[in-house]
Amino acid sequence: MNHSPVKFFPVSVKAVLKKYRFDPQNRGLSVDLSSYLLVGAVLFVAGVVCMATKRNGIGVLMGVELVLNGANINFVAFANYTKLGLDGQVISLFVIVLAAAEAAVALAIALSFYNNHLTIDVDQANQLQG
Amino acid sequence: MVCDMNFSELLQRVVQDTVGTNPFGDLGRVWQGQQPTLSDGSLLMFLPELIVVGTILALLFVRLFDLDKVFSGQSVALLGSTVALLVAVVQFLALKNFDGAASDAVHKTMFTGLLVYDAFGVFFKVFLLLFLQLVVYLTRLTGLPDREDAPDFYTLLFGSTLGMLLMISSNNLLMVFLGIEMTSVPSYAMVGFLKGRRTSSEAAFKYVVYGAGAAGVMLYGISLLAGLLGTTNFPEMAVRLNMVIGTHPLKMDATLLTLLLSIVMILVGFAFKLSIFPFHFWGPDAFEGASTEVAGFLSVASKGAAFALLLRVLLALVGPTTEQSGLMVPVYFYLGIAISVLAAVTATFGNLAAYSQNNIKRMLAYSTIAHAGYMLMAVGAMLVLLNATKHVPDAQVRWDLATRAVEGLLFYLWVYMLMNLGAFAVAAFIRNELFSEDITDFGGLWTQAPVLTFAMACCMFSLIGMPPFGGFTGKFMVFSSLFQAGHYHWAMWGVLAIAGLNTVFSLFYYVRVLKFMFIAPAKDDARRVKVPLTSAAGSYVFALAVLVLWTGMWGAKYLSATAHDVASVLFP
Repeated sequence: MNHSPVKFFPVSVKAVLKKYRFDPQNRGLSVDLSSYLLVGAVLFVAGVVCMATKRNGIGVLMGVELVLNGANINFVAFANYTKLGLDGQVISLFVIVLAAAEAAVALAIALSFYNNHLTIDVDQANQLQG
Repeated sequence: MVCDMNFSELLQRVVQDTVGTNPFGDLGRVWQGQQPTLSDGSLLMFLPELIVVGTILALLFVRLFDLDKVFSGQSVALLGSTVALLVAVVQFLALKNFDGAASDAVHKTMFTGLLVYDAFGVFFKVFLLLFLQLVVYLTRLTGLPDREDAPDFYTLLFGSTLGMLLMISSNNLLMVFLGIEMTSVPSYAMVGFLKGRRTSSEAAFKYVVYGAGAAGVMLYGISLLAGLLGTTNFPEMAVRLNMVIGTHPLKMDATLLTLLLSIVMILVGFAFKLSIFPFHFWGPDAFEGASTEVAGFLSVASKGAAFALLLRVLLALVGPTTEQSGLMVPVYFYLGIAISVLAAVTATFGNLAAYSQNNIKRMLAYSTIAHAGYMLMAVGAMLVLLNATKHVPDAQVRWDLATRAVEGLLFYLWVYMLMNLGAFAVAAFIRNELFSEDITDFGGLWTQAPVLTFAMACCMFSLIGMPPFGGFTGKFMVFSSLFQAGHYHWAMWGVLAIAGLNTVFSLFYYVRVLKFMFIAPAKDDARRVKVPLTSAAGSYVFALAVLVLWTGMWGAKYLSATAHDVASVLFP
């Protein structure tokens, strides 16, 4: 008896590729939990890469938004496919509001940084060191 | 269970849960020192937070209607924090006096299970609100926000504290993230509060970029955990985890990997809030750029709230039935060891980096990192003691040992609040007089302002962990838990040895500050510092120094007994 509320999680790249390969005979792709989780994971990784590589402060903050939305997709998908139910959707609504608040403060701080440094290059934030 | 009700019934239930059956009649009973009961609804238990919210509104209205000529923002903030503290103290005394043994079993939930009301949460409410009041008073003395900016500054300060109050009583994964964000977002703005300063805007920028990134990673971890368990409610988490993992074969497959990944991601968020080793780099920069008062607030309050939340999350994962979740016991056991090793690395790093610092705030920031390491050792020891099923089969004995570890952490946090606030307060008063935060400029202070120097000496010796001061007692309690945990795995003794060595290392940079204050002569062109004992600033730091001494000598017994009672609430 399988107790797990989650159906399964795609960890094998091969299995994922096999599932989503272009198959002209069979047009109908079955969309299930793992497809949504895959989108969420791609958004998360894209966000982390964006945070790590962008030198522009606004670019880094956009990476943060991608990460938050990746988590949001997870929540909404889990709400539909697992026992999490409405809780998942409620959490994603809260996260949207919080992300907006955080973005507002972050942009204000970026503006203040620009006023003092005339750039938002994160590499120019090098006065505090040691 | 929700689906078979119509909307009005559902609404009725939510209203009943929030305001109770007889909202106004029961107010009086609680003021007479009785326990709130379930029929009282959630608002009564939520009263301190509501007062904080009311203060924020009052501050905004004072600004809106141009009343700040009559009521300054500072007096509104001071009044609000005092009333909230008094209500929290009444709540705590009501919980404690209500038949000690029975109240241990009391875990009431507020707002349909989103928040929990127990002695542990109320203890931290008192901790945070007392600290908030002390910080408000400190900013009044140092005049950090001028009359124009005061309502803005205190709105941010109270908003941040409100987030911490949600963190410490959260009972749901949603509240974990909500509390952390509500704490962080105003903190970012407070760090950048010194307008037009290059360092201040740089500090805020670094803090917000790193902080938002860590929060995003944590949220992703929470989403995986919530999906895996199918619930976000703490009391159900351990049971569901047992269902998912308990009968699982011991091999690394998708479920176990997902679980471990989500736990690691959530711990990343905590490590950032607590400035634990790989995620500590924001701390010194943010503290150096921020004003001294804000740095003092962040170094104590956000750490205390984050430790309370970390305990709640870890205990929700471990659950009361540790002997049943067979597979997870060794996982938690080794997680405890990993956390302790990380804590040892953090303490070592903080102490080594503090050596070369010349800015007092930067030095205290590294000292904060080191102390977060010491306190995290208690958390690691708790996990190890709680999951040492192989060595201690009796669950009751394990819970007693874990209670000791938590007791040490709580005691340490209280002492840490007093001594760290004292050190930051002295630094703020000296900055107001000398316009300098360099330790080398502190020469000759002993002859000019003996009370500042005395208070700094008390705080520094307590931070080192010298015997008559509270810092020694706290460290001793944490280290004894580590020693106990060492009986079950040798690595904990290694952590204990490193912690002991760290205490010796830390002596040098703390004493260096005192060397300049006591021995070095004043610079010729330096202003003279005049802060007599009779001034408000002098008596403020003197009172903090006496309290630090009190926690180490006469108060230690009382404080540790209270901490023990509070810690025992967490374990069945």
